[in-house]
Amino acid sequence: MWKSLWRLREVAGKYALMLGFGILCFLGARIFEAQVPLYLKEGIDRMAAGNADVSWPVIAIMGAVFARFFIVSAARYAVRQAALRIAFDLRQQLFSSLQGQGQAFYNRYGIGDMMTRAVSDISLIQRLFSMGSILLVILLFATIVGFYYMLQLSPELTLLILPPMPFVFWYAWYSSREMGVTSLVVQERMSQMSEQVQENLSGIRTIQAMVQEDNEVQRFAATNQLYANAFFEQARINSLMMAVMPSMVAICTITILGYGGNMVLEGKITIGTFVAFFTYVGMVVQPFRVAGFIVNLFQRAAVASNRVYEVLDLAPEHADNPSGATQALLGGEIELKNLTYSYPGATTPSLNGIDLHIQAGETVAIMGRVGSGKTTLLRQLVRLTDAPAGTVLIDEHDVSDYPLAQLRAQVALVPQDSFLFAETLQHNMTYDDPSRGLEAIWQAADAADLRRTLEGFPDGLDTLVGERGVTLSGGQKQRTTLARGLVRHAPILLLDDCFASVDTATEEHILRHLSQLRSTQTTLLVSHRVSTARHADRIVVLEEGRIKECGSHAELLASGGVYADLERIQREGTGDA
Amino acid sequence: MSKTTTSAVAEKKLEQTPVKHDQPAASEKAARDHSMFDAELSGAVLNMTLLGRILGWMKPYKYMFALSALLVLLWSTLSVMLPVIISVVVVDHIIRQEAESMAPDFGLIELTDWIALSLNTSPIVAACLLYAVVQLLWGIVGHAHRQTLIASVINGLRDLRLDLFQHLETRPSSFYDRVAVGRVMTRVTNDIEALYELLRGIGSLIGEFVPFFVALAIMLSIDPLLTGYLLLAMPVMAFVTYLFRRATRELFRKVRMSLSSLNQYMQENLAGLQVVQLSGREETNLAHYEDINWENRRWETKSMRLETFYGAFNDSMGSIAIGVIIWYAAPEVVQNEITLGGAILFTRFIDMLFHPIVALGEQTNILFRAMASGERIFQALDWDEKIHEPAQPTQLPARLAGSIEFRELSFRYDADIPVIDNVSVHIKAGEKLAIVGPTGSGKSTLIRLLGRFYDFADGKIFLDGIDLNQIHSHDLRRRVGVVLQDFHIFSGSVYDNIALGNASISKERAIAAAKTVNAHGFVSALPAGYDTELSERGQNLSQGQRQLLAFARVLAADPEILVLDEATASIDTETELLIQDALDKLTTGRTSIIIAHRLQTIQEADRIMVFKDGRIAELGTHAELLAEQGIYKELHELQFQEV
Repeated sequence: MWKSLWRLREVAGKYALMLGFGILCFLGARIFEAQVPLYLKEGIDRMAAGNADVSWPVIAIMGAVFARFFIVSAARYAVRQAALRIAFDLRQQLFSSLQGQGQAFYNRYGIGDMMTRAVSDISLIQRLFSMGSILLVILLFATIVGFYYMLQLSPELTLLILPPMPFVFWYAWYSSREMGVTSLVVQERMSQMSEQVQENLSGIRTIQAMVQEDNEVQRFAATNQLYANAFFEQARINSLMMAVMPSMVAICTITILGYGGNMVLEGKITIGTFVAFFTYVGMVVQPFRVAGFIVNLFQRAAVASNRVYEVLDLAPEHADNPSGATQALLGGEIELKNLTYSYPGATTPSLNGIDLHIQAGETVAIMGRVGSGKTTLLRQLVRLTDAPAGTVLIDEHDVSDYPLAQLRAQVALVPQDSFLFAETLQHNMTYDDPSRGLEAIWQAADAADLRRTLEGFPDGLDTLVGERGVTLSGGQKQRTTLARGLVRHAPILLLDDCFASVDTATEEHILRHLSQLRSTQTTLLVSHRVSTARHADRIVVLEEGRIKECGSHAELLASGGVYADLERIQREGTGDA
Repeated sequence: MSKTTTSAVAEKKLEQTPVKHDQPAASEKAARDHSMFDAELSGAVLNMTLLGRILGWMKPYKYMFALSALLVLLWSTLSVMLPVIISVVVVDHIIRQEAESMAPDFGLIELTDWIALSLNTSPIVAACLLYAVVQLLWGIVGHAHRQTLIASVINGLRDLRLDLFQHLETRPSSFYDRVAVGRVMTRVTNDIEALYELLRGIGSLIGEFVPFFVALAIMLSIDPLLTGYLLLAMPVMAFVTYLFRRATRELFRKVRMSLSSLNQYMQENLAGLQVVQLSGREETNLAHYEDINWENRRWETKSMRLETFYGAFNDSMGSIAIGVIIWYAAPEVVQNEITLGGAILFTRFIDMLFHPIVALGEQTNILFRAMASGERIFQALDWDEKIHEPAQPTQLPARLAGSIEFRELSFRYDADIPVIDNVSVHIKAGEKLAIVGPTGSGKSTLIRLLGRFYDFADGKIFLDGIDLNQIHSHDLRRRVGVVLQDFHIFSGSVYDNIALGNASISKERAIAAAKTVNAHGFVSALPAGYDTELSERGQNLSQGQRQLLAFARVLAADPEILVLDEATASIDTETELLIQDALDKLTTGRTSIIIAHRLQTIQEADRIMVFKDGRIAELGTHAELLAEQGIYKELHELQFQEV
């Protein structure tokens, strides 16, 4: 645990002075605080002695309060500010680090996991600094300072109230830990319930179509009950602690009451001391209540620290080491030399000995089953995955020789899943370069057959996408992402099966546009449809990561292989291939 | 107060919305403004009507509630007795041996003396014994009070949540078309949660205020003037608390908002990371993230400044009060106006006197949030949009033949454009009808009307000659098996997902159904076969497998009519063949209406209906339509033209 927490010095070191200042102030505040019972004692003693002049104790108390007010404000502010800045820095580091990761990483961890790290874990670390460290330090002070003044007043009575302390501490520690555990259970059940509600509401049409409402309500009732039980359990432990803790402390109180009372009667201590002891016991015991909470916070923060640094420690997935020997503008010639690629952890290669030479300006269609390596092949060209050196060449240079930014600017990949940001359509279409002119945008919109859709929205290009704006259909989304790719006029364009949600007539229209627009530029397109592939200069059929067939539409039909079969199945729709 | 009134009026309006039966009025649809569902509500601070409604759910637990109230009175008295024993019994009576004390002692002095006499011990030991007993009782009674209170609250809210869920579960499609699922969901989760907080807060306030009044009464009886001085602090504290809350309410909101936009930005950025990387936007986005991060830090810092001062101020009040007590009490004690024990008692009561104000301040935020949550909850509960069921539904025969007739059917979602425009068609029992047409032509709406997901008044649909509006939607939906494009997986095993809680579907029957629709192969390959737990969105299944599973589900239920919205997503050719084969078996002997995207499905249909702009553009067999040289032929040729 300490090792994980120690790691946080890297981000907290910058604010060590601020933290130190805060902690020092807290110590001072505690000392001033301890003066109040001391002068209360003085006042009571004077009263008991029949002395009505209490101006000095009153002035001293007011002075202590006044000083404490400023010191404690400064202390809290310093410490919380430091914690806030630590969280700020961690967020920046995490965001930056996450942007450098790629598919391999997100397949392993998932976005939800990362969000938890960014939100819960960082806020735990923030709380560790703003509360945990402070609590630990100041509460330790409270105990030490409290005992110091008690010893000053009466060592005998102080020693007598010591024996129950370990038990009080143990119980407080135990039950506040217990509370930590149950609060986790409550959280867990809550998220279970949220999940169930979410799942239910998003599937409401199916549920109603299948007349499953009653079943679902019953299922929910069970989850709801479980949650209520957990909540009750948490409340029970809390309430029990509220009853038992003071009762245990009462052992000390009764000791003071009985033994201390006798000492007063015997004249060993004054009434003022007797009263002050009650206050000091409260001061000493108060930290115990949160002991378990602190331990819990430290443990959880240690885990959080591990989780955050696990991500921060990762190198970016794709190193950017340009050779400097490459030209600024790509010509568009692609060569794959015996390209073999396996995803990390995979037993069989996704691409296996691919040899393919594509001339600048050529249009090549890639076909094949799900999992045959089509997408993997495209991803090599923009370095979303890194192929072995010397196997993927553009304009006779290895792809890793190019600066990553240049490569991705001039090789445009339109991915299969059409992701749009919750921003305007224009913003989405010019995501890589917001300064693009309207003319270029509309030209791309025309090519992607998006003009009519855009003109159909009252706000046109300024239409917001997503929950706060319009919900686009699958086809509209796909055409928007297509436009986002086309607007770049990249020397190499890679289309990864991006006509799946577009109807055939529209697809036909887009492809015709595309061949005019990109007659001199290289285009690779992945598809399941023969109707799409047939427009290409050449068609490559992949099977289990190897090139099975390669040739023009006519050639492949004539050779009577897989492609010809596919063509027949798709044309006739008969299934005995 | 004016705010409260406005919301009460709004409340009334909701209540007065007449509950209609049978025939839906055309005006109703136009009148419903779904944006209301997402809008911010009145935000009244204290809405008594609302509080009353929330308490209504506690009614079944009112005895427990009453017991809790009784216990809190007892507990408060005990809380006050403990310092009385220290100050009045021990200091005044035993140590100072004051003849009489102004402070009420609840007969504790006599009791102590009696114990000392009966047990033959010193009075101080007797006082200790008494203290121990009171302390023990205090613990037990307090625990019992909190337990009864929390139990009645938890049970009431559990019931409220379940009622809300049930209500939402039965809202019609027209409702879910318009409102965001996330917003509906938070009502069941976060909003009810806020009520838990509220009622728990009220519980803790009771625990603060009852002792407050008991202590106040005792202090007044000892020295009204000193009590008056101390009470002067209360308006000051209340005012400062008010200022603090007012200043921070907006700040806290800003903090929350900036934090949530920070998270949203990251979430979106990660979801679209591939696009970000492919567009080379990393630097720009990091800078933008930093802007939001700064925004958050600014608001945090502002609210932090106020919080630290406010916290320190609150801490100081108790100590200042001690100073005041000594300053005031010293001459009084010396002149024997009050006893020393009385003065000490004052110092012990300070916390009980001041803490309720602080606690109240802490609770106002919760109160605010809870009021808003309560409004949202009851708005949802009052939302009476529903499918109108017939007063006396027609009982359907054990087995329907399955003929369907649409007669002059028109339908519009909003007042403006008709989605279905005067459609009349008769589908024979056992016929297989394929519907083709561009997106947005109204195909999906047509089949949704057949499942009675929407009320319609313009035109009629007949099922075996029975008016659809005379059939209860539940009865109908058991006879019409609908397979939608987005197949919903319920959390549970594969078997659960096929049987869907229908006890009459045994495992054998489920397996048989799966075998028929070619799903058995991949299900057997799953780790636990039919007992494999499926994840919420079915990520562990491919698109094609999900489709096959949906088929198995329908086949097992064996409805007389099948309605299918064929999936458009690209599925590899092999699975495609399995699906086609399954579809073939599924439609045999069943009236089937299929929104078709695949040629084979279309070709195998008895008739094909080309739908465009809410109307039937063409209707006939594959051959007939090809001969017609219309839209169908065009569609067909585009995809399958010869080289």
